[in-house]
Amino acid sequence: MTDAHVVGAGIIDFGEKYDWSFEDLLEGAYLDLVESVDYGIDPTNDIDGVWYGTLDIANEGSSGAAVAHATGLFETPATHIVNACATGSDAFRNAVQAIKAEDIDVALVIGAEKMLDSTEGLIGGAALERLWRGRGVTMPAFFGMRATRHMDQYDTTREQIAAVSVKNHENGTKYPHAHQQFECSVDDVKESSTVSYPLNLYDCCPVTDGACAVLVASDDRAREFTDAPVRVAGYGLSTDSFQRGDDLALTNFPASRHASSTAYERSGYGPDDIDVAEVHDCFSITELITYEDLGFCEQGEGGSHIDEGIPHLDGEQPINPSGGLLSKGHPIGATGVAQIAEIFEQLRGEAGDVQVPDAEVGMQHNIGIGRNATGAVSCVNILER
Amino acid sequence: MSGPRYHRTRRQDQRLVGFECQACGFVSFPDEKRICKRCGDAPAEFRDVDLASSGTIKTFVVQEYLPDDIEVPQPLAIIDIPQADGSGEPTRVYGLLTETELDEISVGCTVDVRFRELFDEGARPINSFKFSVPREDKR
Ligand SMILES: [Zn+2]
Repeated sequence: MTDAHVVGAGIIDFGEKYDWSFEDLLEGAYLDLVESVDYGIDPTNDIDGVWYGTLDIANEGSSGAAVAHATGLFETPATHIVNACATGSDAFRNAVQAIKAEDIDVALVIGAEKMLDSTEGLIGGAALERLWRGRGVTMPAFFGMRATRHMDQYDTTREQIAAVSVKNHENGTKYPHAHQQFECSVDDVKESSTVSYPLNLYDCCPVTDGACAVLVASDDRAREFTDAPVRVAGYGLSTDSFQRGDDLALTNFPASRHASSTAYERSGYGPDDIDVAEVHDCFSITELITYEDLGFCEQGEGGSHIDEGIPHLDGEQPINPSGGLLSKGHPIGATGVAQIAEIFEQLRGEAGDVQVPDAEVGMQHNIGIGRNATGAVSCVNILER
Repeated sequence: MSGPRYHRTRRQDQRLVGFECQACGFVSFPDEKRICKRCGDAPAEFRDVDLASSGTIKTFVVQEYLPDDIEVPQPLAIIDIPQADGSGEPTRVYGLLTETELDEISVGCTVDVRFRELFDEGARPINSFKFSVPREDKR
């Protein structure tokens, strides 16, 4: 069996792209990828398969053919992957599996989302469906419930939760593709308007359009594209529900624990081996809990973990050097692919102002919640130089 | 708003009846399912169990941003409702808290569970469960 290697990445600047169509987003990311592959690529001949991640919130894509049309990759098998907020990382995982199975040699993984063109919006959907479960369980409410419980059970402070947002916004000012380029203080987070107590506006990621693409190749083909491929060492995918009576789910994301355990086992690496990670921080509390779920600290110690500066850019184990979802933005289908692209750059030493010194092993992590707010999915990929 | 008829007519919408998986003890409410959401037994054998009329807040939020037709601020909690006879496991549900202020609720506090009209669909009322801090506990 062959390994799979990331050999190229392309991204557009994330932000409010009202004047960009879905096709413009895909074109932008794809062109940046084609132009940035070290030894070049002959797109229509080199790419054997396409995995396209989007929730298609704006109702434009909904088929792999959307990528074929946008990129000119006709007659190439193209598959549309949907897996809640883990859509992009699961599209990547599917491409890796096809390469490892030796079904194809070179895959394009591309993710895109026009978040701002949604007519209904996620809040509307969550609020109006599933009445008897509690009318209106929104995304901030769903994550905020973990924050309330985490503070109660582990004496995690409001300031510790806000510190995640402060860190990621600071990183984002140094990352060229981030949507929100401003710094904020713990007080700024605490004083921003309440969205869903205990979470405030600066605890929440912005609504962002974006697209990102990565190229993945087999052992046989990887060195045709670059001398510095990044190997996919392991991956895991898992699901869970808040409602199974598991008390751990009140303070943590058990799916992340399971998905990361699988990825650690497959890769042979453990939490201490991870030099840099791009993790899901749709809300500040999500990242704090994720430190625990991924084994970067003990359960209940997420608050002291950030207090000690370990996940800071200059800390022992930097998390979200790109600014994360909180600053870079969270265009759902593109999010996981962009995290892979950032880890690819980090492991090649090409991450510019947010470069983590001597990074050799990196992790990418997504979590996703279904609209009825009971289903959870988590996808983890581990990459190595 | 047009919901399927079963939201109105199911027996459990009229009283506090849960469904206990005989394989693992998980209690489903208000849904009567055929497959267990915890152990995955399929088909699972469920037994009707009566639920208590009060439960415990496991965690909560207070929502401030919702579509225009929903009143804010809106407290929302995850609540464990024990079985009426004290045996077995509680069931876990999401619930709106009504007639409740933020400073009246906390993790671990007890709330009353009751059914009431949530809204009406034309002439037909839609009933659902709601939660509130017991009257005598109100400040
Ligand atoms: Zn069961």
